[in-house]
Amino acid sequence: MAKSDNLARIIIGCKNGDAECFSQLVDIYAGRCYGYFYRLTGNKAVTDDLLSELFVKLVEKISSFKGGSFESWLFTVASNIFHDYLRGKQRERKLLEVRKRQLESEITETKHSDGGRTDKLQVQLDKLDADTRNLIMLRFYSQLSFKEMAKMRSEPIGTTLSKLHRGLKKLRELME
Amino acid sequence: MNSRNEENLKGLFEKFLDLKQAEHAVEDLREGQRILSEHPAPEPDGRLVADIKAEIEGALLRRKANVFRKIAYKAAVAAAAVIILAVIGVELYEKGDGKAKKVITASIIPKAIWESDDVSADDADLAILAAEIEQIEGEALAVQLGENGGNGNRNLLELELEMELIEISSDFWKG
Repeated sequence: MAKSDNLARIIIGCKNGDAECFSQLVDIYAGRCYGYFYRLTGNKAVTDDLLSELFVKLVEKISSFKGGSFESWLFTVASNIFHDYLRGKQRERKLLEVRKRQLESEITETKHSDGGRTDKLQVQLDKLDADTRNLIMLRFYSQLSFKEMAKMRSEPIGTTLSKLHRGLKKLRELME
Repeated sequence: MNSRNEENLKGLFEKFLDLKQAEHAVEDLREGQRILSEHPAPEPDGRLVADIKAEIEGALLRRKANVFRKIAYKAAVAAAAVIILAVIGVELYEKGDGKAKKVITASIIPKAIWESDDVSADDADLAILAAEIEQIEGEALAVQLGENGGNGNRNLLELELEMELIEISSDFWKG
């Protein structure tokens, strides 16, 4: 309860334009949001950019947060930022069709340059489709309940449960 | 990390699967999450976090400047509206010489009657007028019936009557 009260106080401060409150918000969520973006992109440089974009966007959007689960709202913004990035990348790929293979190899090289166990998980995550990967990462990093996730994705809870179950089961098989 | 994820997973899965399948699903889910926990993603660099905080401060300053600019624009628009209204008001005032226009009315009733305070005199006049009209009516009737000795000059009598009527009317309206 004290934690949620503290978060509520921080959010009110952010809405009032208090830089210190934004700083606290960054301290609380930077790690989880970084992990979310990193697991989706597998690229540290891109993750850095997306994380910066997310928090700067929060300055503009925080007034539109009308209560409820802050995590749900935050990860909806994060998810939208990731989708915008994907769309931009696809556009870029279309424009640079000639360099497609070259770019992909560059991305793959960067993705798998972190070494150790993290690398293995990232390689296997890349084998899952983007939506399933996003769902698994949302569940793990946002700490949202299935009900909240289903609401966020505008789909029935049964669909969310089934997709996540299939995704995690496949990931488990890939990791073994 | 998964504190809020401690929902009743088995109960949830049981809504869609049979008991055994639900148990397996929960197990798969826990196992998947265990793998993710065992492979933590890298943490953001301290410098990155500091850069983000600096960027936020910059964005906040820009936002404050924008808010101030919007207030200034609104105040300028309001002031301009007040000035325009004041100028229009002064122009209208000057055109009208600062006086309210006099309302002109017309009446078909003679002014003398409205201005007369002597009610009894007015009543007497009316009584005389009524008597004279009755007398003229009687004479006119006699003329029509040829009661004036049977030899009266009809045209002369009519002329006399008309003259008398004009005189009465003129006296009445003079008050």
